Amino acid sequence: MKIRLSAVLLGLLMPALVLAGEYDLTVDRVQIDTGDFVKEGIGYNGASPGPVMRFKEGEEVKINVTNNLDETTSIHWHGLILPFNQDGVPGISFPGIKPGETFTYEFPIQQAGTYWFHSHSGFQEPDGAYGAIVIEPEGREPFRYDREYVVQLTDKHPHSGDRIMRNLKMMPDYYNREQQTVGEFFSDASENGLMSTIRDRMAWGDMRMMKADVEDLQGFTGLINGRGPEQNWTGLFEPGERIRLRFINSSAMTYFDIRIPGLDMTVVQADGNNVQPVNVDEFRIGVAETYDVIVRPKDDQAYTIFAESMGRSGYARATLAPEEGMEAAAPQLREPARLTMADMSGMPGMDHGSMAGMDHSNMEVMDHSNMEGMDHSKMEGMDHSGMAGMDHGDMMMSKGGANDPFYAKGSGLMPTAANGGKFLSYADLKAQDPLYEDREPTREIELRLTGNMERYIWSINGIKYEDADPIRLKYGERVRFKFVNETMMTHPMHLHGMWSILDVGAGQWNPIKHTVSVNPGTTVYMETEVDAPGQWAFHCHLSYHAAAGMFRKVIVEGGPDSTQAKADAVNEEGGEA
Amino acid sequence: MSASKFMVAAAFLSISAPVLAAVGHDNAHGHGAASGSPGRISEASRTIKVEMYDMYYEPESISVKQGETVRFIVENKGNIVHEFNIGTPEMHESHQKEMMMMVEHGVIQGGKLNHDMMKMDMGNGHSMKHDDPNSVLLEPGQSQEVVWKFSDKGNIEFACNVPGHYQAGMYGDVNFE
Repeated sequence: MKIRLSAVLLGLLMPALVLAGEYDLTVDRVQIDTGDFVKEGIGYNGASPGPVMRFKEGEEVKINVTNNLDETTSIHWHGLILPFNQDGVPGISFPGIKPGETFTYEFPIQQAGTYWFHSHSGFQEPDGAYGAIVIEPEGREPFRYDREYVVQLTDKHPHSGDRIMRNLKMMPDYYNREQQTVGEFFSDASENGLMSTIRDRMAWGDMRMMKADVEDLQGFTGLINGRGPEQNWTGLFEPGERIRLRFINSSAMTYFDIRIPGLDMTVVQADGNNVQPVNVDEFRIGVAETYDVIVRPKDDQAYTIFAESMGRSGYARATLAPEEGMEAAAPQLREPARLTMADMSGMPGMDHGSMAGMDHSNMEVMDHSNMEGMDHSKMEGMDHSGMAGMDHGDMMMSKGGANDPFYAKGSGLMPTAANGGKFLSYADLKAQDPLYEDREPTREIELRLTGNMERYIWSINGIKYEDADPIRLKYGERVRFKFVNETMMTHPMHLHGMWSILDVGAGQWNPIKHTVSVNPGTTVYMETEVDAPGQWAFHCHLSYHAAAGMFRKVIVEGGPDSTQAKADAVNEEGGEA
Repeated sequence: MSASKFMVAAAFLSISAPVLAAVGHDNAHGHGAASGSPGRISEASRTIKVEMYDMYYEPESISVKQGETVRFIVENKGNIVHEFNIGTPEMHESHQKEMMMMVEHGVIQGGKLNHDMMKMDMGNGHSMKHDDPNSVLLEPGQSQEVVWKFSDKGNIEFACNVPGHYQAGMYGDVNFE
């Protein structure tokens, strides 16, 4: 990356030093080698992932993006607050960058923290078009650490994004290798009884889905900073140092459960915003989220950064070590997660519906499936904390894990830490320095997250993007969004341009995020101070869900100086996911 | 300091000191480091102002002479509850477990301290009073004094043991001249 960072002193006209930086990015065809396979993909400045872009809060940046592809491209600066015409969504913010063209982004950096950037055109992002952004704060960094690393994850698949989408459309379970087998049927039957097992399978069949639908894209290799498990990206440290790890999940579809056996992690930032520190043993990172953690390895040994996919169909692995070449054992993947009836509770017809008879059979089924989920995960976690004779405090700590209010009660997705310790919950996230005053929302907008798995259609309120009207917001209002997840998949909802104030029940301390994960069978609230005029994208960040229609355009009407949103001037054609 | 805040401060200071036990515990681990002892204000050679912000101190390190008694005026200028605690890293680590319990029981709630909860009997004569003379636990805006005699050279830090804060880097070094 050529950086021409020029601190320009505008002579006597301006008393202050204006920090300005100019950066160049090229969008290129690249080779991606995961260690398991080599594929053609898309990258920046000749590599995937692209460079780490380092900015400083208060800086005016100018980024020249040259498109060396034979198709239109774009760059979206994920999580950055900027004028809407710099947001990089073709069809919503701008027309896109044509082959051979250079587009210059110009915007002020008005925040600090860990973010990322990616193409918002077609499936270029899953094909490799992503990179990291690190913004140094204007004042001092409120945390102390001796070194820092970006740890950027992705789920690299041997197939191209276009091909994956075609296959999913044709056969939604094309990439689901975790389907329950005949063998599993018989073992369930011997444990739970034949009739109850048959009823269980029939109930799931009625709902047009399978228990194992935790991940609809399997068969990937998890990469960290572009390196597969065998290629083992390694971050060096001196024992005793504090290390800040900036985790970014740039996956197309995959949530990861991350731990570093032998090290406590202290979460200090989520989605670029500082949070009150939380000590955890493990955390789940949704697609498009970022979490910054501080670790302090005291011993002269290697530690494995282990990131298991939520459905346990794959993993990414990296190492922290005092010297290059040292490594620690990589743990085994845990049992695959299985959805339970609790994860279905948001489905219409489950709790209210014409099928009175179904309730009864469901009850029975529910018991079994819940127990199954508990056996595998919860019990294990509880045993450990009990056996170690841990004190009162540690016992209480498990409450975030085994009983996370952001999962349906009895959910098969409920995370527990591999060592029985603390698993981060959204409920633990509290702003360190709240950006907005707490106030009553002016209105509520309900967004039901909906889908038809059989046809691989994903939608909001039952309507997919191409058939939907934009969501219209008024500048200056505070909108409360109510997400009701009526599907059996987890959706990371990303609103561009404005912060999502996630309601964790902490009032003024509610954290601000750019991506809010909504688990199956749950309702999650977030509020948005509508403070950015223009038009913005709002969508599920799972690449193939966004492309299948779980996407909306948001139009903010009005503005601070009644510059009626220039939005009207922009063409109103549909955007690309 | 307002009258009501002064009362709170007085309540903190009036309670006696199990700090020696903590020091003994530390010695048992063979580190041989003690952090010093409560000092008398009449012996204080100087006053150091320490400001607590969200996740850092100003200043972040201080220099003392062995045997010196220092009066600290500690002010919480952050948004949330912070502690100023003088001890060895090992002492801080064991104190962090107690502080975790205080959070779990709602004694420390972001920017507030629940004083009723602190007095609650936890069984075996224990309570969650935060009354060690080597430390103060302050809500935003509060200010309080710690008078400390640095009788022994050692690996001493001042630190905030509210869960996660120390790990995030809220500590300062005590250097011996």
